[in-house]
Amino acid sequence: MMDRHTEVRRRVFEEVSIGDELPQLVKGPLTTAHLMRWSAAMENWHKIHYDLPFAQGHDKLPGLLVNGSLKQQFAAQYFKDWAGPDGWVWKIGFQFRAMNLAGETLTLWARVTDVEPLEPYGLVRLDFGIRNDEQKESTPGTATVALPYRDGPAVPYPFQPPVA
Amino acid sequence: MSLMTEELKSYIGRETGRSAAVDTVETGAVRRYAQAIMDPDPAYMDNENVRFGGAAAPPLYPAFMFRLPFGSPDYLTERGEDPDFDGLVTAVSSGLPELPLPGFALLNGGAEIELFRYARHGEKVFQKSRYADIRERESKSGPMLLVLVETVYETEAGEPLMRVVKTLLRRRAA
Repeated sequence: MMDRHTEVRRRVFEEVSIGDELPQLVKGPLTTAHLMRWSAAMENWHKIHYDLPFAQGHDKLPGLLVNGSLKQQFAAQYFKDWAGPDGWVWKIGFQFRAMNLAGETLTLWARVTDVEPLEPYGLVRLDFGIRNDEQKESTPGTATVALPYRDGPAVPYPFQPPVA
Repeated sequence: MSLMTEELKSYIGRETGRSAAVDTVETGAVRRYAQAIMDPDPAYMDNENVRFGGAAAPPLYPAFMFRLPFGSPDYLTERGEDPDFDGLVTAVSSGLPELPLPGFALLNGGAEIELFRYARHGEKVFQKSRYADIRERESKSGPMLLVLVETVYETEAGEPLMRVVKTLLRRRAA
């Protein structure tokens, strides 16, 4: 199933279990126009994202690179939409392990690794990654999402981290 | 030979002052950004949003507000004929002093992001950065340095928006 957008609804802590797989989020194929649009939106003119002769001739890259900064936006969107209107994405961490090239389709996946009931919200920890068409993983990471309880209020906003 | 020197260690903890983003959170800039990341979240344009107190910028938006101020030198023209100019303009970096690592390549290794609240349309955003840590690690291609740069983004009143710890990988260029 090619999901271009995660279903956004109120998600509650009680419905989440360790081992749950999130619906995947698909972005792409990411054309050079997509990369140029992002470079322009953030005013970053790094040539490896739009100047193919420079990328290949000067930086010896196989092609134009998908911006790491764009991949992290996708991760933020993925967890924000999954957390729903009453949840909050507290932490996202990731490593840029491999490059992705213009033309690739990226698929975000995530799996729940831990749940921790606290007050006044519960924390959900997840592993996630970004795979290309060949199932190569480029951006492994972790996220921590705060979810409300079924009969409880929304996660406090601005977010109040739990007291250690 | 260790890459870690006393001089490098002296950079750990060094920080910048607080600096303001060149523009406030602008509705048009938020629209272009949201369209570029393909995230049509209605909250980005909802002036009546109760939870966020108005229209909000996308989660990571504050980190991308530090651009060249009006009147800056035009690097694209000044270096237009330079075959080695990669298009990156250093003025948009964190403002920390360069590490004394001539001939070392720089790779973006990743980041740890912590979110507290979204920036609202019309708000000013500020940042301050510091070298949180510099340490050496063995890799397949020899020793490398992990440089951890922490940047805190906040409102004018000092309310935290997000905190980012970036990992920069530095190794001798081949």
